[in-house]
Amino acid sequence: MKFWKYFGLRVLTWALTILIGVTFIFFIPRMFPSDPVENMIGQMQSRSGQMDPLEMEHLRKSLRVQFGLDGSLVEQYTSFLWKGLLHFDFGPSLLSYPEPAGDIIMLYLPYTLGLSLTTTLLAWLIGNFIGLLAGFRKNKRSSKILEGIAICIYPIPYFIVALVLQIVFAFILKWLPLQSTIYANNGMWAYITSILKASVLPAVSLLLVNTGWWIISMKSLSSSTAEEDFVLYARYRGLSEGKIGKSYVFRNSILTQITALAMSLGGVFNGSIMTEIIFGYPGVGTLIQKAILQSDYNMILGCITISIVAIATATLIADLVYPLIDPRIRYS
Amino acid sequence: MRKALSLILAIAMLLTMGSAAFAAEMTEVGTPRNETLIVETQTPTDVPGQFNSYMQGTQMGFGIHQLMSAMMWEMDTAKGEQFGEVAEGFPESNEDFTEHIVKIRQGIKWSDGETLDAHDVAFTFNMIKDNPGINQSSYANAVFASVEAVDDYTVKFVTTESFPRLSMRFGVTIWGNDYRIVPEHIYSALEDVTTFKDSAPVVAGPYTVSSYDELGKWILYERREDWENSTVGVVTGKMPQAKYILFKVLGDDTTRQMAMINNEIDILCEVTPEALEVMTSANDKIACWYNEFPYATSDDPCSKGLAFSIGRGAPYDSADFRWAIALALNFDEISMNIFDGAGRASVFPILTATSAMQELYYKPLQEWVEAFELDLGDGTTINPFDNGYAARMAAALGIEGTEEELVDMFGIGCWKYAPEAAEKLLIKAGLEKKDDGWYFDGAPFTINMTYLADTEAQAGRGLVAAYDQLTKFGLSCNLSSESSATWDTHGATGEFEIAGYWPTGGITKDIYSQINGYDADLIVPIGERGSGQGTRWNNAEATEIIQELAKLSPEDEKSYELAMDFMKIAIADMPFIGFHSGVKFVPTNSTNWENYPSASNPYNGPWWWWSCFKYITTEISPVA
Amino acid sequence: MKKFWKNANMRLKVGMFMTAFFMILGFVVYFIPHVDPFSYNSYANKLPPSWENFLGTTSMGQDIFWLLIEAIHNSLAIGLIVALIGTVLGVFVGLLAGFSGGVLDRVLMVITDTFVVIPSLPILILMTSLMKGSSTVILMALVLAMFAWAWPSRQIRSMALSIKERDFIYTAKFSGEGTVQVVLTEILPFALTWSLSNFMNATLAAIASESSLAVLGLSPANLVSLGNMIQWARTRNAILAQQWFWIGSPIVATVLLFIGLFLLITGYNDYMSMKRGR
Repeated sequence: MKFWKYFGLRVLTWALTILIGVTFIFFIPRMFPSDPVENMIGQMQSRSGQMDPLEMEHLRKSLRVQFGLDGSLVEQYTSFLWKGLLHFDFGPSLLSYPEPAGDIIMLYLPYTLGLSLTTTLLAWLIGNFIGLLAGFRKNKRSSKILEGIAICIYPIPYFIVALVLQIVFAFILKWLPLQSTIYANNGMWAYITSILKASVLPAVSLLLVNTGWWIISMKSLSSSTAEEDFVLYARYRGLSEGKIGKSYVFRNSILTQITALAMSLGGVFNGSIMTEIIFGYPGVGTLIQKAILQSDYNMILGCITISIVAIATATLIADLVYPLIDPRIRYS
Repeated sequence: MRKALSLILAIAMLLTMGSAAFAAEMTEVGTPRNETLIVETQTPTDVPGQFNSYMQGTQMGFGIHQLMSAMMWEMDTAKGEQFGEVAEGFPESNEDFTEHIVKIRQGIKWSDGETLDAHDVAFTFNMIKDNPGINQSSYANAVFASVEAVDDYTVKFVTTESFPRLSMRFGVTIWGNDYRIVPEHIYSALEDVTTFKDSAPVVAGPYTVSSYDELGKWILYERREDWENSTVGVVTGKMPQAKYILFKVLGDDTTRQMAMINNEIDILCEVTPEALEVMTSANDKIACWYNEFPYATSDDPCSKGLAFSIGRGAPYDSADFRWAIALALNFDEISMNIFDGAGRASVFPILTATSAMQELYYKPLQEWVEAFELDLGDGTTINPFDNGYAARMAAALGIEGTEEELVDMFGIGCWKYAPEAAEKLLIKAGLEKKDDGWYFDGAPFTINMTYLADTEAQAGRGLVAAYDQLTKFGLSCNLSSESSATWDTHGATGEFEIAGYWPTGGITKDIYSQINGYDADLIVPIGERGSGQGTRWNNAEATEIIQELAKLSPEDEKSYELAMDFMKIAIADMPFIGFHSGVKFVPTNSTNWENYPSASNPYNGPWWWWSCFKYITTEISPVA
Repeated sequence: MKKFWKNANMRLKVGMFMTAFFMILGFVVYFIPHVDPFSYNSYANKLPPSWENFLGTTSMGQDIFWLLIEAIHNSLAIGLIVALIGTVLGVFVGLLAGFSGGVLDRVLMVITDTFVVIPSLPILILMTSLMKGSSTVILMALVLAMFAWAWPSRQIRSMALSIKERDFIYTAKFSGEGTVQVVLTEILPFALTWSLSNFMNATLAAIASESSLAVLGLSPANLVSLGNMIQWARTRNAILAQQWFWIGSPIVATVLLFIGLFLLITGYNDYMSMKRGR
């Protein structure tokens, strides 16, 4: 009974946070003085010198009607809540008019998911493995070195890591392409290799940074677990170090890391934005940036809504599942 | 240990992948590198696979208008003259310019073998008129009463009012033109032409689409088998030499340079001088318009400088104030800060000093401007013109040349650096100098200076350099950069004070199309969007000239005289402080292809992103 | 103090030393009179390092050393302002929610959770790209602070909840102390240890966000910060033109500052847990 009450409240919070979140991002771009129609006219003007005044006036009118930007703010909001939130239909992208924003996001989503899910999971596995070793055998030299490397790489701002990788591997060594461009026109094999080649540098850069974090957090978790009473007791009882490591330290520290993994899986859209922008990788991150720079309202809403729902849901799942796997926590 | 092993494995894998890709001289799109010309395009397209220019959002600069579009009139950018592409010669108009007979060139065929004739032209214009969803529609309706094919190769345009500039408005002058002829046999069968993507376009230009990226980062074009029937084939009789042309997006500035140095691309759009220096020293096959200083061509028709939001009222609406700003700037230093001194000074307002405009307007005005005087308000005057700029820059940069060469390189002169006169003019404009800075209307006076981030380095750097100069002069200034998204609104509504942007032009002798936005009748209050220039320059005499010019034929000698008068008024009133004409560093790589247009071989301008590129393709040849 | 130093672990010591070094650069050296480093043409262009210009000059004739000092000053200032706002607000909201309970708690937590789930980088890109025209250091700090308070307030709330249950609170309440007093004397000290660690974390995060935005070209145009300094050098092609002092010095400074702060944080956490353990 207590569980169901907790469950109900938690789901309600989940729904409310999403609602408040998307309301927030619906109104922000509309409060600023930027206007997609003006942007489009501005672009036409700056590339072809000057535009006839009369022509500009006519153009402005016809664009406004076509983009459906003539309704009132309240109308736009309610229709967004109904269509966007409940049916994931965000209306046409203003840049790729009349293509629906949702369809375009779906075109880019697999690339982002492929890259970020793989690297997040890999980083989690590698990082926790090393972190566990380092935490458990914390006085060995190898674990100190590994941790030292992690500590020196993790805090470096991501874009610096990315730029260095790009210059070394793509420019100087020429092993990999400078930009992550996909070539789908000449056969399956070429398509697959182009995806792989496009993904290596972004993936390595993400791995470097994320693995560092998992190493550090796992190390500190496992070393603090290793000093808890029940582990000391096990040592006292004369259990082998291997057994203690496996069944006491590992099991207890990994629980926390699983929840953390759930959270970071929810955050994959956020995490890959810089990567995608720096390497020109075709994903939701570059799409968000482009949409923001050109005031493509519907596209901005679509991308960020998906991201909010993903993070909120991941948190929800983590919160619900955590007490199930860790008996020390009660629903409250 | 395990980590080391996996690292070695990963490196081995990468090595094999890398070598496999570079072993054969093939491009990533599977075409032979020696038959493929690779050209940069600066932004990915938002609508991959969309080639219909009358559908919303088609990005013409992605090779579409450079290689496929059929224009009524094209531009010879070397001579600064138009010529007929689809049209045979220029329109023959009646006395009052309301009826125009245009002959259509014979022999052009669409890429599916159908003949391009007068019916396609008439159909195109009527399609534009009949479809309100097409951007150009309401303007076309306002201009044309009717467009009809008289016979297979003659079209009659009837305009609602006197319209002396038909070929200039509906043909290319700079960059391209939004009125492109479509095949009637395809477009007439469509229910709605504004939603037809046209993914496998039938075109009159010399290339067709071979394949494209679903994600919008590249398009591969292939030369037509029957290229001799294409527009370029019929007009020049020459074959475009590259079998394939790949337009692709390269990304940020560092990446572009790296790609160019590694010969992954043949033509870049535009770079900064620092980038050019790096590239030419890293790879001796990379060159620019000139082989030596100033490297860049100064013939892009948009001069960059300082625009004032005159509609904000005092003190921005005072010519004295604007002149004070001009005289407070040390132009030599600004030049060095922008592009290390490269570029032709183009200091007159509005009209850019391209080579042609320098001959047509700047030099003829030189005598007048050397005698021009400003009243400083305390009984003294100053002549603001400084003709020593070219000689000073040449000396500072160690350039030698005849006076004529130097004037071509650095322009006829600039505005004097005269801080004392500037102070007097500020006082005349109503400002007050106190111990802690300048005051206006009893309050401390601060200027907000705005520039556009991420585009047009020349304009942005110019404004930041001016900010630096004005701050040193003693004016209090704020500096802010805007994204194009907000600038397009702020610029139009006048929500700025001084901005680094380019409401300028100048390519043909007739300057009407460059200046008509300054018609004072188009001014709307600050905060509203009008159709005139965002600077809101309100000058009755200038407006009178603009309105008079509208009715005159561009060939009329009187229109040149009026344009001269306009320039004198503009200089005296100084609505825009020009810095340099559009300075473009446009590098080419001759590892795989050669004979690009350059200063020593100027068969065309280096405008890869203009529609005239199709005429350059016949000259660029493979390296044997 | 001596005892502290003896007990402090290696990381804490190194971290404190590095951070103190940057603090001195940013808040002491900064006040030594010098030319305005943002101003162009103060020196000749592209000078190599010398006694007059320790790190040489930029392509616009700015002194790189003083540009760097000013960048460190501003980046630290932004980081500290954001961390201060975020931590104070977070602690306040967290304590309020934790102790009031009921409807107020629910409402506050829904709002907090919203800010936790909104992806910060896209929103920051959105806000900064729209505000560019009017953006200033303070505004920049406020925008960054928008995302700095939610996480601490969540943590402080759960901390408050667990502390509330503990015996000594009951004792205090029983002995007639008011809620405010209980919070001040019993709970705040607990929260403070955690907040200090969070404060340093938030400083680091804010500096990182600002420099990411700068690299995307979205930081205020006349703000001399570490991120902007990297970005300016990049747009003037310092990387490929091999002007290593110009592009390198802000990068090295950023990396060292971050490693220093990070060591300080983890060292401090270890130190506190060790202290609690005894």
